[in-house]
Amino acid sequence: MKNKTNQVIIIYILISMFVAIVSHKLLQEYISDSNNQFYNFTKDILFIFFTGIIFKLILSKNDTRNIAIFEKLKNTNDEIKESNEKYDIVAKATSDTIWDWKIQEDSFSWNKGIESVFGYSDNEVGDSSKWWFDKIHPEDSIKMSIKLYSFIEQKTENWQDQYRFKCANDTYKYVLDRGFLLKDENGKAIRMIGAIQDITKQKEEEQRLKLLETVITQSKDSIIITETDSIDGKIPNIIYVNPAFSIMSGYESDDIIGKSPDIFNSPNSDSNELEKLLDAIKNKEECLIETISLTKDKEEYWVRFSMIPIYNSENELSHWISIQRDITDEKNQEKEKEQLIRELTQNNKDLKQFSYITSHNLRAPLSNLTGLLNLLEDIPIENQELKEILDGFNKSTHLLNDTINDLVKVIIIKDNPSIQKEAVLIKEIFENVFSQLNFQIELYKPIIKLNFEKVSILNINKAYIESILLNLLTNAIKYKSENRKLKITITTHEIDDTVVLIFKDNGIGIDLERNRDKVFGLYQRFHNYPDSKGLGLYLVKSQVETMGGTIEIESEVNKGTTFTLTFKNKQQ
Amino acid sequence: MLDQILCIDDDPITLMLCKKVIIKSSFSNEIITAQNGEEALSYFNTIRYVKNKPNQQPQLIFLDLNMPVMGGWEFLDHFNSPEFSEFNTIKVVVLSSTIDPEDLEKAKQYPMVIDFLSKPITHSMLEYLKNKIE
Repeated sequence: MKNKTNQVIIIYILISMFVAIVSHKLLQEYISDSNNQFYNFTKDILFIFFTGIIFKLILSKNDTRNIAIFEKLKNTNDEIKESNEKYDIVAKATSDTIWDWKIQEDSFSWNKGIESVFGYSDNEVGDSSKWWFDKIHPEDSIKMSIKLYSFIEQKTENWQDQYRFKCANDTYKYVLDRGFLLKDENGKAIRMIGAIQDITKQKEEEQRLKLLETVITQSKDSIIITETDSIDGKIPNIIYVNPAFSIMSGYESDDIIGKSPDIFNSPNSDSNELEKLLDAIKNKEECLIETISLTKDKEEYWVRFSMIPIYNSENELSHWISIQRDITDEKNQEKEKEQLIRELTQNNKDLKQFSYITSHNLRAPLSNLTGLLNLLEDIPIENQELKEILDGFNKSTHLLNDTINDLVKVIIIKDNPSIQKEAVLIKEIFENVFSQLNFQIELYKPIIKLNFEKVSILNINKAYIESILLNLLTNAIKYKSENRKLKITITTHEIDDTVVLIFKDNGIGIDLERNRDKVFGLYQRFHNYPDSKGLGLYLVKSQVETMGGTIEIESEVNKGTTFTLTFKNKQQ
Repeated sequence: MLDQILCIDDDPITLMLCKKVIIKSSFSNEIITAQNGEEALSYFNTIRYVKNKPNQQPQLIFLDLNMPVMGGWEFLDHFNSPEFSEFNTIKVVVLSSTIDPEDLEKAKQYPMVIDFLSKPITHSMLEYLKNKIE
């Protein structure tokens, strides 16, 4: 506009000067000095009139142009105002965070979302793009900036990106950022406006679903999803199989989708189990069966097969989930185990039978011998030698009889794994045992200390505990020291739910360093006593163990022996 | 003293022993023996038709369990059946050298079995039985 004014003035000066010079020359040529005053005046009038017209021309032209410009400006202004208003309304309405980046000046501004969504207060928010970039998760920032700059350089049409954006509290939110470019008349990017959407929830849900999906895709169990309705009494058609199913059955997804799992049935499938399954499907109930299935190559395998009905929020059946596991190995092992148990049971039975028969067949002739010897007792024998021979015969027979009777006892104990237990008073047991040993107790008068104050009742088999204590007492008397009076201490106490019975004597003891392994062995003797058979402690141990207890021994030669018996005292 | 008893055992020595002890203890007048259950059953079948001696039947049976042809259990099963109903008031004593506790339990299932005794037969055993029968 200034240039135009100068132009107008210069033109005006030039024209005025030209008019002035021309009028001066004309006046010099034609007009004399007398008329000078009049002509000068005329010339000025003309000049003013003339320049007036020229001004009018120029100004009126300028005016029209200015009005046009003004109109245009006004329109533009209105548009901008309106657009700004719209922008404000949209920015307020949307939950998105809007940013505005003047690229050349690198001036960056944010709307309220930066506070409401990400928690940054006004003074925390930077005003350059650097602040923005700094808040992007380091793992996402390179990928994101590559995409962004290729967009700014207009190599790509659209820009939208997902990245993690740091909040004021240092956590990250997943965001979807979409932006567009404003360009100048040369097509250069001058401004970029973007909208950031918080997609953390969607992303978390997506990740949760992905995680859950791995259960199906990575599971070693086969998973099938089927339609709801069965057609022609078949299992409903398959709509999904997981990779584990393909591995198990040999059927790929494409082979099998849209077909019924009935095609897995083998002629050897358990028809009762299949019936059960179809009934469950009819009644829309959960079901678990075990049957034989066929692979694609018609190989049989055992499968544990469940069908679970899945209902939607309207409580309508939406599909079935079936989880299947190949249990062929399990079944085989089970079969082997059963076979083994059968064999062992049979063997055990045979052995038991064998031991009974053996002892019976030994006992039968032996009882005859005993009976015959009993008859001999009444017949007087004159011959001294024959008498001696028969005497030896008699002793040997009775010894053999005792041994066999002992063994029979052992067999009966060993054969009786679950014996009757009852609550018995310990005091009562000892009274019985002492009365049986009355003779020996009177003879040796041992000091016997009993302390059953802590535990007075045992849950135990009465006959066994009597036999055990009888054996231990007999041993204590039999193997007492000649140098000191026999002293026996018997106490009970409780540890947790077990009862401990301690039986202690001051007898000759057993050399445990040499004999620890043999103490409770069958026919193990540690002292050369005439009536010692090496059976007592073996029987004691067998009886204790039959009742679910344990027995331990501590002994020192010439000091004494301590037996510790432990029983579970639970009522069964 | 009993009039007649029946001893069923496959072992001749056991039978001999039985006879001797029974005679010595004056337990019975007459002792009849059978080698197994079948022989014993056929004895009962013969005396069934002998009408002229009405009361002549054993008053007690000593029965072994393990015997060839027909063992003690099989004998008891037959003897307990309606076929021998006229004889099943006769008391039976199982006399065996078995040690199987199951045998003892099994013997209790037969009403005529009054006792289960271990071999060999002895004088004191017979005294005990005398008291029991009376």
